[in-house]
Amino acid sequence: MTDEEYLDADGDLGFTPAVVDDDRRPVPARSRRRGGLRRRITSMAVLVGALTVVGGGYAMLAPSSGADDTAATSQDVEAGRQLYNNSCITCHGANLEGVTGRGPTLVGTGSADVYFQVSTGRMPAPAQGAWEVRKIPKFNEQEILQLGAFVQSRGGGPEVPPAGANLRASAEDLGNGGELYRLNCASCHGATGHGAPLSAGKIAPDLYRATDRQMYTAMQVGPENMPVFSNNQITPEQKRAIIGYVQAMKESKDPGGAGLGRIGPVAEGLVIWTAGLGVLMVSILWIGARL
Amino acid sequence: MTHGQGSGESLTAEEAAELSPEEAMIVGAEADGIYIVHRRERFPIAGTKAERRAERTIATVFLIGFLAAVAFIVVFCGAVPFEWRLPGAGNQNYRYFTPLIGSLLGLSLACIGIGVVLWAKWLLPEEEAVQDRHDGASDMTEQILGAGTLVSGFSDLGVARRSMLKTTLALAGGALGVVPLVALVGAMIKKPNRGPGQSLFHTPFGPGVPLVYADGRRVSPNDLQPGGIATVFPGVEGGTKDADSPTLLIRLRPGQAVKARKGQADFGWGDYVAFSKICTHAGCPASLFEQKTGRLLCPCHQSQFDVLQDAKPVFGPATRSLPKLPLTVELVDGQQYFTARGDYPEATGPSFWERP
Amino acid sequence: MTTIDSADSRRPADGPTGPTVRGPKRFDKPRTPQGKAARWAEDRLGIAGGLRKQLNKVFPDHWSFMMGEIALYSFIILILSGTFLTFFFDASMAEVRYDGSYVPLDGVEMSRAYASTLNISFDVRGGLVMRQIHHWAALLFMAAMLIHMFRVFFTGAFRKPRELNWLIGLGLITLGLVEGFAGYSLPDDLLSGTGLRIAAAIMQSIPVIGSWAEFLVFGGKFPGTEIIGRLYIVHVLLVPGILAGLIGAHMALLIKQKHTEFPGPGKTEHTVSGERMYPTYGMKAGGFFFIVFAVCAALGGLAQINPVWLFGPYNPAQVSSGSQPDWYIGFLDGSTRLFPSWEIRLFDHTIPPLFWPTLVLPGILFTLAGAYPFLEAKFTRDRSAHNLLQRPRDVPVRTGLGVMAITFYSVLLLSGGNDLIAKAFDLSLNAMTWAGRISLLVLPPLAYAVTYKICLGLQRHDREVLEHGIETGIIKLLPNGEFIEIHQPLGPVDDHGHGQLGYAGVPVPKKMNQLGARGGGIRGFFYPVREKADIQAELDALAAQEALQERHRERELTD
Repeated sequence: MTDEEYLDADGDLGFTPAVVDDDRRPVPARSRRRGGLRRRITSMAVLVGALTVVGGGYAMLAPSSGADDTAATSQDVEAGRQLYNNSCITCHGANLEGVTGRGPTLVGTGSADVYFQVSTGRMPAPAQGAWEVRKIPKFNEQEILQLGAFVQSRGGGPEVPPAGANLRASAEDLGNGGELYRLNCASCHGATGHGAPLSAGKIAPDLYRATDRQMYTAMQVGPENMPVFSNNQITPEQKRAIIGYVQAMKESKDPGGAGLGRIGPVAEGLVIWTAGLGVLMVSILWIGARL
Repeated sequence: MTHGQGSGESLTAEEAAELSPEEAMIVGAEADGIYIVHRRERFPIAGTKAERRAERTIATVFLIGFLAAVAFIVVFCGAVPFEWRLPGAGNQNYRYFTPLIGSLLGLSLACIGIGVVLWAKWLLPEEEAVQDRHDGASDMTEQILGAGTLVSGFSDLGVARRSMLKTTLALAGGALGVVPLVALVGAMIKKPNRGPGQSLFHTPFGPGVPLVYADGRRVSPNDLQPGGIATVFPGVEGGTKDADSPTLLIRLRPGQAVKARKGQADFGWGDYVAFSKICTHAGCPASLFEQKTGRLLCPCHQSQFDVLQDAKPVFGPATRSLPKLPLTVELVDGQQYFTARGDYPEATGPSFWERP
Repeated sequence: MTTIDSADSRRPADGPTGPTVRGPKRFDKPRTPQGKAARWAEDRLGIAGGLRKQLNKVFPDHWSFMMGEIALYSFIILILSGTFLTFFFDASMAEVRYDGSYVPLDGVEMSRAYASTLNISFDVRGGLVMRQIHHWAALLFMAAMLIHMFRVFFTGAFRKPRELNWLIGLGLITLGLVEGFAGYSLPDDLLSGTGLRIAAAIMQSIPVIGSWAEFLVFGGKFPGTEIIGRLYIVHVLLVPGILAGLIGAHMALLIKQKHTEFPGPGKTEHTVSGERMYPTYGMKAGGFFFIVFAVCAALGGLAQINPVWLFGPYNPAQVSSGSQPDWYIGFLDGSTRLFPSWEIRLFDHTIPPLFWPTLVLPGILFTLAGAYPFLEAKFTRDRSAHNLLQRPRDVPVRTGLGVMAITFYSVLLLSGGNDLIAKAFDLSLNAMTWAGRISLLVLPPLAYAVTYKICLGLQRHDREVLEHGIETGIIKLLPNGEFIEIHQPLGPVDDHGHGQLGYAGVPVPKKMNQLGARGGGIRGFFYPVREKADIQAELDALAAQEALQERHRERELTD
């Protein structure tokens, strides 16, 4: 297109062009082309500068998700050691050897165990009880991974899966996941994930708040009285199937109305005696005579 | 009470036809021994505002019932989807289908019920009736005549005299009476423990039978970590389906040792032991394993077995230890795999009379 | 009686619906469709007298007599909803791979019974609500029978001549237990399959014939391939048939012997008072049927029950924690959990611990319950027939025994869910078991003692009010400085100021607004019904109107 084709009958452009010179006059295409190389270099410089600013800012300000490395850096280990000395050493000992009457050894438990215990808030625990309660976690994700790196470096053990890993199987594997769940997990955690009491005051917790990673690490590690389900026994694929099944079950809606906590016949019996018979007793008192 | 006309028997048809329906009802009731002691119209004057208000209320209730039934039909026939979907895989409104049709149906039924009851309470005459019970034994004459009928028939039959007939009929009838029982029970009865795979004393495990997971994979000693537990089955045809075979393979933690039963000290292999998963109390899988305490808890009636005491029951209603499977390991293609050394030495599962 | 009767406004007017012909002829040649239909039936069946007799039957309408109706109506609802389900359910144990709408079970191997249940729940329009209505109605059926039984027990309605009906009722409850168990075991899911496993173990535990019994019922070792099919026939044909027959007998006895009633003014042992069946009582009963159905339908839609898809298909190697049977079997679960680990071994034979709490205990309970009317008659040496009921307080021994039995039952029922209670309240499971065992032995006698004392106290209070009158709450200061409360006597008093009315088994009014002095109190359940004064005013107006018409007519005649 020639310059003339840009101009209307009055000789004006008829619109406000994107590129103007300093006198606020529209710059015809030819003159734009003449200063092109300089402009291109400038714009490249601007682009690179912008990228540097944004990227650097992101790198500095964004919280670390540890997405880029499973191999913990020595900084992580050191940071973890600091955290350990502040929060864990009194019960687990300076060399992770454990303290009798207070806490077990952490040698060989691995970053997976640390991830499970600390991200569910069970650890740090105020005292040793029959079982540890899930609480609001005291440390954030980065700190948990650092702690885990430290413990891993001292004694090895199962490693926490990387953050970006997909720990949930797709829909085709849900059937298999369900079968595995019912065979290995349901006897303690319940067919609907509601948990159960164990002997003498211990419990197997419910799974309602468990995340994919927490379930994965719990299976790897066997925290407290939960058995250890190593990767040779329940393969990572099978673990993903189980997690996929549990999460799908948790997230799926109850098609039959109010789920009553998915507890089972006990809740249903309560409902019939209170709501069912309650409404009917009121109707009976309304219809019948009262002496 | 209006216009007593005397008992129904003494009325001729002409006289009865002269009665109003209400009078006829009262007279008829008296004939049945029913006396209306109180009867009062709730709205003696027809068409008052109060009566119309009552009627309107009841009519409104019925109308709501009608609307609810129509809404039910609309919802049922497709206004709300009912197909189940995975979370995040489409319209989740199916969860409203059942609650809607249930509550609309309930509303419709309730409106009819409440409307009908209100009709009875507000619009029907207030009435109290008393009925003679005529209970207890019949009139003595009736009893005697009845007894006489029975006795006479009995003596007609001559059963008392004809003892040969009596005996043979009793024999025939008795035998025939037993026949349906024999036929049904006889067809259904099965001698216990007879037939392949039917023995309460044996499982498909035997010498050299491999241990497999539910998907058929063989079990290797490398598979479990200390404190791990797996459900394993006999690696034979139908082994994973046999109800008495599920077995718990447990790898003990370092420092845990099993105080074995007599003669079964060598049933384990390394730090592995295998017990029957089927609770000896009532047959539920006793699989809540506390790896640190070594307790196996059965969720049905809370029997607890101590693995470190060779699965001896330490709490709850169970009385027998879980049977232990003798294990060994064989080398296949350089890999170690578990096999059984023999079947369980005793019957698995709940006890029964013939179990020693 | 004249044929001109304009003064009688209740007489139906002659016109399109009324006869213009007088006399019996109008009954011979009916003109309305109803009349013609009645003529048709009467000519063939001759039912006029009998029908009238049944329609006029009098039923006492106390509210506590309606609990048995709940059971009857829920039975009908079970038949209706169950029939729908039979069109879709497949009671086969053949294995099949699931291929329906519920994705988390896709490809899983399961029995046809389970697959068809999933089909009903997810792929049949309205199937899930029908399944749920059916299951809720079953729970309601059992609960209603229980509270009906309690009412009959505590008011003494089981006494002669109604002992037979009491036994039939117990039979209904027992069959209801069997029917419910069979019904919820049909889907062959993990929860009910675990229950079937326990049932097999219970059969096995019978001494001498145990394994024979188990092999007979299951067609071999558990689980076999027969049991679901057999349970199906028991559940849809055999037991409903027997239930229907027994319910028929129960009702027939009720109709023949007529219902009992509470004592009161004008009530005698030889009469029954209340409302006639047609139209009043029938309307109320029919309306109540719809209300019961409405409750079942509402529960069936709003509250999920037995979500078998979450439990998975039955697999003998799998179990879920927190497995319980339906509530009405819960007392047996509780007795099994509480029973100590006592096993009897005799010469190479075993009587397992499961035998006692699951078979012997319910056997004893039901036998005691069945024998109770006869035992009570023997111990009280009461051979007369009773049609009037007793207030529970007036029979403290029976009431105490009843409360003791209910306490015993409740401890068992609660113990059936002791693991859920332990988890919910953070209690030790072992402690729950021990608490149950001790409560079972300690609480019932305690309950008996407390109930007995309460009954006696209530009896004494009744007599105290009869003697001294109702406490009005008005305090008076006497000149000598003493404070007294003014009492309202219930009847004539003697020289000492004591009432002379005897106790008649009727509730004694204890508050002033229960007396006639204030006009009998306000009637009505949700809001007041029209006052007597309003109705009286209307009647007076009507009478005045008739008097006026009469005077007009007289004036016309004389003019």
